[in-house]
Amino acid sequence: MIKITKTIMLLLFVTLTSNIYAADKPFAEKKVVLQISDSDPFKQTLVLNVASNLIKGYGPDKVDVEIVAFGPGLRLMFDENHNKGRISGLVDNGGVRFTACGNTIKKVSKKLGGKPVMNKKANIVPGGAVRIIDLVSQGYVLIKP
Amino acid sequence: MTSIKRNKLLLAAGLTGCLLLPSAHAANWLMLQGTEPAGEAARAKVWGFIQAQYQNDSSDPNAGGGYIPPKLIGPNLDDQSGFNVNRARIGVRGTGFPLDSKVNYFILAELGNNGITNGDDGKHMTDASITLNHIDGARVRMGLFKYPGAEEGLQAIHVFDYINFTTVTNQLLLERFPRSTDLNHLPPAPTPNADMNAFEKSVGAFRDVGIQVFDTFKVNDWEHSYAIMVGNGNGLNYGDNDDNKDLYLYWSSEKVFGGKGGRREGLKLFAWNQDGTRTNAYDRTQEQDRTRTGVGVKYLKRPFRASAEYMQGDGMIFQGQHRPEHMFNNGEAEGFYVEGGWYIPNTKWEIDLRYDTYTRDEFHPTSGPNQGIHESDFDTITVGTQYHFNKKTRINAEYSARDYESESPGPSAQQIGVKDRFAIQVTHIF
Repeated sequence: MIKITKTIMLLLFVTLTSNIYAADKPFAEKKVVLQISDSDPFKQTLVLNVASNLIKGYGPDKVDVEIVAFGPGLRLMFDENHNKGRISGLVDNGGVRFTACGNTIKKVSKKLGGKPVMNKKANIVPGGAVRIIDLVSQGYVLIKP
Repeated sequence: MTSIKRNKLLLAAGLTGCLLLPSAHAANWLMLQGTEPAGEAARAKVWGFIQAQYQNDSSDPNAGGGYIPPKLIGPNLDDQSGFNVNRARIGVRGTGFPLDSKVNYFILAELGNNGITNGDDGKHMTDASITLNHIDGARVRMGLFKYPGAEEGLQAIHVFDYINFTTVTNQLLLERFPRSTDLNHLPPAPTPNADMNAFEKSVGAFRDVGIQVFDTFKVNDWEHSYAIMVGNGNGLNYGDNDDNKDLYLYWSSEKVFGGKGGRREGLKLFAWNQDGTRTNAYDRTQEQDRTRTGVGVKYLKRPFRASAEYMQGDGMIFQGQHRPEHMFNNGEAEGFYVEGGWYIPNTKWEIDLRYDTYTRDEFHPTSGPNQGIHESDFDTITVGTQYHFNKKTRINAEYSARDYESESPGPSAQQIGVKDRFAIQVTHIF
């Protein structure tokens, strides 16, 4: 009985945490996931611009935007990133979520000889690609600027 | 010199007044040239620019039909008009290892025809530096790069609002390095092959090889920057030519209005000092101190731009592109410029106006009717316009009215014929 209760609690926890962000915007009519996996600095600006335009276009409550970074695109979510101020603005004012790939962080840590300092506004998930697939299966539209 | 001291006081007072005006390109050149944006810089960003120009000088020859350098078009100084590709630079900058934003590099080569490339040195690297950003408040840059100093020299030349430098910058700050084999080209010669450029080495191009500690601190809307550099004092040459080192000090405080890059809007106040010693190329047992000091202000808030800078120098006072043997001296010189621009609203046009003046000791160390120290004055008013095709391409046209004179009868007879100059230039940045 205790084992069954533990299992149910664990399943509940996993279910809640995996959908916790989507629940932030209950009135969202549009759901968009933006992918950044490119090292081109211009792409960083572009993905932030797209997010900003979506918020402006639909309104913060009507659109649910998540930016998922993996591979070379992870630099966008480093704490030192030049766009840190813009990221804070999009999180605080637009409710945009920033998600960093845990697999990439592990790889980067090996190359750097230590864990990179990540932006506190970024949520870390085990896999960036997996996160995107999960969101798409939940009805999110994937945009790769 | 008494008149120089008097002028210093007057100009200091005038400049103080300018500094108080709430009113040019107020960019942070230390950071723009020495660092990359953290977390987003490319591994290798290829960039560069081309400047193609035409200049025409309407000065009159001396009584013998000869022309001194200010009456001729550089860098060749052969004739009074001509087309030229004066700058063609290509470089790469970025972070070699993009995951680590604490290290960046900057490399740039000059392939155009100007004071850098015109001599025996030929095509030349102008920049090759590495910046280490590991210490908060004390970034370290090493290699060949622009030393911290006067705005005209430190700023990126491809966003310079005029075609020709002010006389004070050209003569007082753009250092020439004579070689022991460089002989004076006298007397002034007739065109079309006047050949009045007697220096065979590259000009200093406001650069040195050394180490610089610098950083910028933001306090509300203000950016405060400092730089301390120690360099060879040997211009673009990778190695040193003596045991002496130059010390460069720089401070700027800027109220940032907005924008970014080389045309950021703001009000910048700055001061700088350079202190070094040069070895006489013609007699290596002799040494001469060389100091340069300046203070200035720059304001840009479209549609208006205004800037002013006062500069003063002791030792190694340039005596003309035809007289390298006179470079080694303990003379004094000073000068300033005031300039402004107006971006005509809702158009791509810009109008520019500049006044610059320079007073230098004139040296005639050899015997003859002109021997001794005299004073020469160089006043120039430049009216210019710019048409911006887009943010990377523009065309400049400028007309300069010049009034040169000297206390010394010999130079005065040469300078009296200096007249107006017209220049047009297309700049494209890629």
